[in-house]
Amino acid sequence: MLKYICRRLLHMIPVVIIMSICIFGIMKMAPGDGVGYNLSPKATPEQKVAERKRLGYDRPVYEQYLRWVGRTVQGDLGDSSIYKQPVSRIIRPFIWNSFKLNVVCFLFSYLISIPLGIICAVKQYSKWDNFWSVFSTFGISMPGFFFALLLIYLFSVKIPLFPINGMQTPGLNASGMTAALDQLNHMVLPAIVIVIGGLAGLLRYTRTSMLEVIKQDYIRTARSKGLKEKVVIYKHAFRNALIPIITMIGFEIPALFSGFVILETIFLWPGIGKILMDAIYRRDYNLVMALNLFFATLTLLGNLLADIGYAAVDPRIKVE
Amino acid sequence: MGKNLIEVKGLKTYFYTKKGVIKAVDGVDFAIQSGKTLGIVGESGCGKSITSMSIMGLVPAPHGKIEGGEIFFEDRDLLKLSEEEMRKIRGNDISMIFQEPMTSLNPVFTIGDQITEVLILHQKLDKAQATKKAMDMLTLVGIARAEKIVKEYPHQLSGGMRQRVMIAMALSCMPKLLIADEPTTALDVTIQAQILELMNGLKERLDTAIMLITHDLGVIAEMADHVVVMYAGKVVEDASVEELFENPKHPYTLGLLNSKPNMSVEKDRLENIPGVVPNPIQLPEGCYFHPRCKYATDKCRQAQPELKEYTSGHKVSCFMVHKEV
Amino acid sequence: MKIEIKKPTLSALQEDKEAVIGPWKMIWIRLRENKMALTGLIIMGVIIFISVFAPFLTPYDPYQYDFGITFQAPSMKHWLGTDEMGRDYLTRILYGGRISMQVGLFSVTVAIGLGALIGGISGYYGGWIDNILMRVGEVISSLPFMPFAITISAVLGARVKEEHKLYLIMIIIGTLSWPGLARLIRGQILSLREQEFMQAATALGISDRKKIVKHLLPNTYGYLIVNATLGMAGAIMSESALSFLGLGVAPPVPTWGNLILYARDMYTLMYRPWLWVPPGICIFLAVLSINLIGDALRDAVDPKSNR
Repeated sequence: MLKYICRRLLHMIPVVIIMSICIFGIMKMAPGDGVGYNLSPKATPEQKVAERKRLGYDRPVYEQYLRWVGRTVQGDLGDSSIYKQPVSRIIRPFIWNSFKLNVVCFLFSYLISIPLGIICAVKQYSKWDNFWSVFSTFGISMPGFFFALLLIYLFSVKIPLFPINGMQTPGLNASGMTAALDQLNHMVLPAIVIVIGGLAGLLRYTRTSMLEVIKQDYIRTARSKGLKEKVVIYKHAFRNALIPIITMIGFEIPALFSGFVILETIFLWPGIGKILMDAIYRRDYNLVMALNLFFATLTLLGNLLADIGYAAVDPRIKVE
Repeated sequence: MGKNLIEVKGLKTYFYTKKGVIKAVDGVDFAIQSGKTLGIVGESGCGKSITSMSIMGLVPAPHGKIEGGEIFFEDRDLLKLSEEEMRKIRGNDISMIFQEPMTSLNPVFTIGDQITEVLILHQKLDKAQATKKAMDMLTLVGIARAEKIVKEYPHQLSGGMRQRVMIAMALSCMPKLLIADEPTTALDVTIQAQILELMNGLKERLDTAIMLITHDLGVIAEMADHVVVMYAGKVVEDASVEELFENPKHPYTLGLLNSKPNMSVEKDRLENIPGVVPNPIQLPEGCYFHPRCKYATDKCRQAQPELKEYTSGHKVSCFMVHKEV
Repeated sequence: MKIEIKKPTLSALQEDKEAVIGPWKMIWIRLRENKMALTGLIIMGVIIFISVFAPFLTPYDPYQYDFGITFQAPSMKHWLGTDEMGRDYLTRILYGGRISMQVGLFSVTVAIGLGALIGGISGYYGGWIDNILMRVGEVISSLPFMPFAITISAVLGARVKEEHKLYLIMIIIGTLSWPGLARLIRGQILSLREQEFMQAATALGISDRKKIVKHLLPNTYGYLIVNATLGMAGAIMSESALSFLGLGVAPPVPTWGNLILYARDMYTLMYRPWLWVPPGICIFLAVLSINLIGDALRDAVDPKSNR
């Protein structure tokens, strides 16, 4: 197993290199000369040249890239022009906020959709199955941001059940339980969007994988052993259906971040998605670059986890 | 004549599809005595496998349904048992091996897990006892290094090995009846012979009755004590193996025998049965075989012959044989 | 004498063993028997109709402003009211559909072109070419789509004229979505390559290019069409999301995505739902119909699939 993980890690190296070149390349195309964050608008041309030199922008591109890589590896991501602070220091609370909302909700939608998908597959073409099939087709087709707006309109404006946006009630000077409840209250609407969005796709995927597995010969064998139908489905069939589901999780992680950006912007949830948008609108390119790097790293980690999970459930992988 | 272990009477299993009702098994009768082998022969699509699934109580719902008949197993009608009672019989008193050894074992569990599962379930053994028993069974089916194989996964074994594992698994609870659905079709010829020999040997040692489904008359000749020939969901001939090979009566049986190469009789070419198995939704009027039968008369086109005794222990369903035309 | 002509149904055709039906006809017949697909086709038909004939369906010009009638509520004269510049909102939605569908279509064309090309080369030549191409594809598919699309759009968008942003978006969406397709086509070609008819082609001395274009790619058309359809749903969705964030197609060119942008104004969100609900519903219906058609197509192309 350890060998397998090492091999996957080695396999990731070229991916990481290509990815870092992509990110660096994109940022190099940004308009402006890259200076001016730390200078006053009245800076003289000489000062600008000096600043460019200080930042190394007069060197050849490959050298800039290598320097950037060197600094990044050491954890130096440059300063944010919005916050006038090192990027590495300011993104931490935002990551935590995103994690609280998105990741937890996403895991939650897995916990619901996988059993639902299994039941739908077992009862294929039943009313229950048809209902959830229609539900997931609708869910997949619903743009998340529009759904979010509808929820705000219905449950914050028309029927004021939940706050429109934000993470806590402004001016609320509470702590402990009250503060936690207040935050939970702010989470409800975005959570619904995330859970339903995740549910629709996963439900469908689980169902398809299960249907594929259920018609396999070894399921018939399991039944012929006299096993209970529950054991046949949840042990013999599900263990096999889990293989494609785990692969799917690997691919779903990038999709998860897409959700971060839009939903956090709509709900003004102070997470990494929202500061990415702030950074983009206000041209804080060091922050943009750092965030993209963060997203990319998380995605790669997700893929690695999926690979490991894959190897854990599928014995055929190890011998390769 | 010994006592019948299992007796199938007038079994009818239908499938309901959008295009119509498929009478996959339509009034099948046969019996198997303890410790004997019954061969069921017929072309693919004649209802052999569905018959075995009906006995196991595993007709795929919701499309398939057993519409009539009785299956007496040790004086109990299996069709009247609850799912719970049926589960206790499945894998325990009656077990089954399938045609595709490559796909019949679950790829994500070890061989040991898959064999011990049945033992723990039916024989209430604990994990250690079950593992020991599993290794004994593997040794019994001729697998060397059983203690190594129990820890391996199906993909690490060859087709012949997997079929041995399937047999070990099926026999681990000492079933009274083993249903083998084309157990050797997917295997190489040399492996086929080994597996058949193994089954024959085990049958004698464990006194298990075997219901052997095949389209290969050579396998039947080697293995069976008694033979049932099926065509389009019906039994057309039922005889002891000697009788069937020496004195085949039904034109379909004759056709099957003639289409098989025979070393002792010199023939210029093999004959084949013209035409194909009829579409199960639009079965022909009269005898289902008449469109392919060179002896067919007007009566065959209108009425369905019954399965009747021709000589003692030899039943045929054909107007011509019974001289009724 | 009256001759009755019966439409062939799948079951009828299967029973009639003599009838030989080509794969395309088979797909069409399967599609026609699927109610969901039919619903999808009808919705899609309506959307295409209103997009194509928008100029004939409305008396207004989508860019003609009139500051005398800004932010009017729906009325007989302006069915969905007017926007902040007094333009007829329904007209903007009709024309917005045109742009949204165009962006979807062109993005998918870009993705398919790249996917088929790269997948074809990769699968056919194998070896190090395959290795490099697939690694690049892996990188692109593991990039989180939205953050990268946003970043690229913001960075490059600043260098592109507003009216050309439309094309930028198409290219961004297209270039970020080819790897899945490329992988699929590569896999298909790898398995097809081993088959006898390709060896026969080699034996006949047919050139590589001709082999790929004439013999291998046609075998992947089924998968291509399914993916193109589902990809188009994704592209429309992505365009609307980017436009909604203000990083997609820029006003005054209307698209369904940037029309919803009105909802980011709190007052409009709360009190003028007619300014953001209709384009949202349009996106939903368009994506839904494409998904329905795509699913049915998948079932039709691959009868073994389960849905």
